[in-house]
Amino acid sequence: MICMKKIFFKSSPLNVGRVFGACRCFHAETVRRERSGLPIVHHGGYVCDLPPGHRFPMGKFPRVLRCLINDQVITDKQVWVPEIASKDLLSCVHTDEYLTNFIHGRVNEQDQKRTGFSWSEGLVSRCRYETGGTVLAAQVALQRGLACSTAGGTHHAFPGYGSGFCLINDLAVAAKYLMGNSSPKRKVLIVDLDVHQGDGTAFIFKEEPSVFTFSVHCGKNFPLRKQQSDLDVSVEDGLEDEEYLSIVEAHLPWLLETFRPDLVLYDAGVDPHQEDELGRLRLTDRGLYKRDLYVMKTMVSRGVPVAAVIGGGYSRDIDKLALRHSIVHRAATQVWREFGM
Amino acid sequence: MKRDDWSGVSGEDRVSQSEARWEKLKHNRLRCGIDGEMEEANVEDILDDWFIESLKTYKDLHVYQLEHPTQVIEWTSGKTVCVAGYGSSKNEVLELRLPLKLFANENKGLCAERDFKVVHGGFADGPVRCLRHVPGTRCIVTSDGLSSNLQVWDLGGDDSDVIRRTGSVKGRTTASEGVSRIAARPSSRPHILHGALSGDIQLTELTSGKTLYKLETDSADPLSSLQFVGDSVFLAGCRNGNIYVADTRTSSAPQLSPPPASSGESEPWWTDASAGPDPSSCRVIRLSLSGEAAVSDLRNPGAIVSRARLDVQTHCRCSSTDDVGLSLAPALDCIAVSGLGRAVQIYDTSVWRPEPQDALPLFEHRGHEVSSRQSDEGSVPALVTSHVWHPDRPRTLLSAAADGSVHVWDWVDRSAADAPAPGAK
Repeated sequence: MICMKKIFFKSSPLNVGRVFGACRCFHAETVRRERSGLPIVHHGGYVCDLPPGHRFPMGKFPRVLRCLINDQVITDKQVWVPEIASKDLLSCVHTDEYLTNFIHGRVNEQDQKRTGFSWSEGLVSRCRYETGGTVLAAQVALQRGLACSTAGGTHHAFPGYGSGFCLINDLAVAAKYLMGNSSPKRKVLIVDLDVHQGDGTAFIFKEEPSVFTFSVHCGKNFPLRKQQSDLDVSVEDGLEDEEYLSIVEAHLPWLLETFRPDLVLYDAGVDPHQEDELGRLRLTDRGLYKRDLYVMKTMVSRGVPVAAVIGGGYSRDIDKLALRHSIVHRAATQVWREFGM
Repeated sequence: MKRDDWSGVSGEDRVSQSEARWEKLKHNRLRCGIDGEMEEANVEDILDDWFIESLKTYKDLHVYQLEHPTQVIEWTSGKTVCVAGYGSSKNEVLELRLPLKLFANENKGLCAERDFKVVHGGFADGPVRCLRHVPGTRCIVTSDGLSSNLQVWDLGGDDSDVIRRTGSVKGRTTASEGVSRIAARPSSRPHILHGALSGDIQLTELTSGKTLYKLETDSADPLSSLQFVGDSVFLAGCRNGNIYVADTRTSSAPQLSPPPASSGESEPWWTDASAGPDPSSCRVIRLSLSGEAAVSDLRNPGAIVSRARLDVQTHCRCSSTDDVGLSLAPALDCIAVSGLGRAVQIYDTSVWRPEPQDALPLFEHRGHEVSSRQSDEGSVPALVTSHVWHPDRPRTLLSAAADGSVHVWDWVDRSAADAPAPGAK
């Protein structure tokens, strides 16, 4: 209730109708009317088949949900199921040409290579569900104050092409959609703590004053060709828990004070972890938990709604990886409890 | 030891067949922004493309950056290698342990250790141009190319991290005739075969310094390789393409095989041979600077069994061609070639025939090219200086380049994935 009140008080009379409107049309297959705990957004369609031996850890998405339920962190009553993202919704960020080719499988081999995926219909479907999930998490966060998806964070996708296992930029689509069209637009802050720069997102919102992109990433990690976020913090290889956290603490509060977002999209990538096969930092499980707790507490304590996505993580031990990804949901559960949401 | 620097270098070399794909990628990639703005891809783009591709093309890839580049990589155990600098004055000699993650076959996710680790180190007064480990000992022997004498070192055990110089081995001549090649006897007797020219080759007992054998020949061909193919039988590969096969137990003249007849004028050749208990299973491969490759049997090195024209991209080099590496894979019907282009190339020799045909690489490791520094004044092009196969893991290699990078990589054999089912032929 606290968050809901704060949203009302912050909004001008002009916006109230819009807030109600957003509540009424959730992009969801399942809408939880009852107050049953932290909203978790998940869809079985987050997964698709990949060729045998493919290195993308597709199996992590259902495992994240399963380990949260098995560990009794959440119950299935908390799960919101998103709708598939329509072409219309995606077109607020991606070019028509790209979307048409992407949906109908007319992607050339060279472009496919850069994404790390070979095109398939299943791939298209899972990307659209994933984006739908992030949009729904953002909508629910606006109503309930806090929500987490069990996927999301495809920040390397640009309007006209995909890259680095990202085909549709879910954070950009969610930000663009929730930003709205009427003036004043809703202000969205994207906090991207994945170890790779959110280059796609940075590019998309470069000229957009209503969306602020903030990325903390390892300079030597992919992509080497960096874009310019509104705030980029490039860190050195081998950074550990304490120093990393102090960097986040140094920037987040003043960002909130100066930009005053109406919504935060949080990419809680676990690839800064020391065991991540691609990331070059050295965070521990505890470090990730403290980070996520700090970010979400900072937002919620100021009455700013936050929607979290799991972001990147790359490991051949998929159960360990899923457990690592579930850290953000556990931290969110703690915040939910502490703030009596 | 810092991690590698990812800024790229653009090549201006002639384009060979397999390089064409790479060049096309570099120059033709264009991007569309949200308002149709076109951007030309730059070098970082190429590196990013290679990085994404490498997730599929390698089973494992670990990169490491030395402060000073090495020309030598020598196994001292299944998990450790020795490297050493080749600068004009003081140089480091290091024993590195490979990332443990490489060896955690089943549980890679559980193994956090993905860094190379320096386990022992020491200093050499001059460049190290050849380095050989004596099997069954903690001893290595090096040559500096400044004289025909060799340096002997103790790598140290668990109690010390210092590599100490313990002595020397006298060469046959006082003057320097090039880099002395070194071969260690496979058995546990610490005997070293060495020499820079065919006429200088001798076998020395390490502990006493006694000369046990001398190759009797009038020739003075500079050597490009020297190796044991059995406990007493050895092969000396000469730069002019000659091969000498001899037995240290006899004083009879060596068996000489001239290089395969080639169309061009005389050019440098490199040689490698596989060792084995039975000479019938030992193969010899020779490669010329222009890419002519020939395989023969050790029992009759002059008779060419199969040949190919390799897709090497040769630079015009004024400096010595010491950096060219040619090796037979210990566990596959493959060879690896480095130093004749920017990549380490793997070729499948099982498909070669007696008539020379063009051969394309089965795999190319481009990691050094993409990890070298920006090519402005004072930078170092990433020419690969050395490579070795892992003795047991069939597709694992180590390679080093002139920018100080050292890579260990396990490549994916895509041709195996595409091969027809057994019996389909």
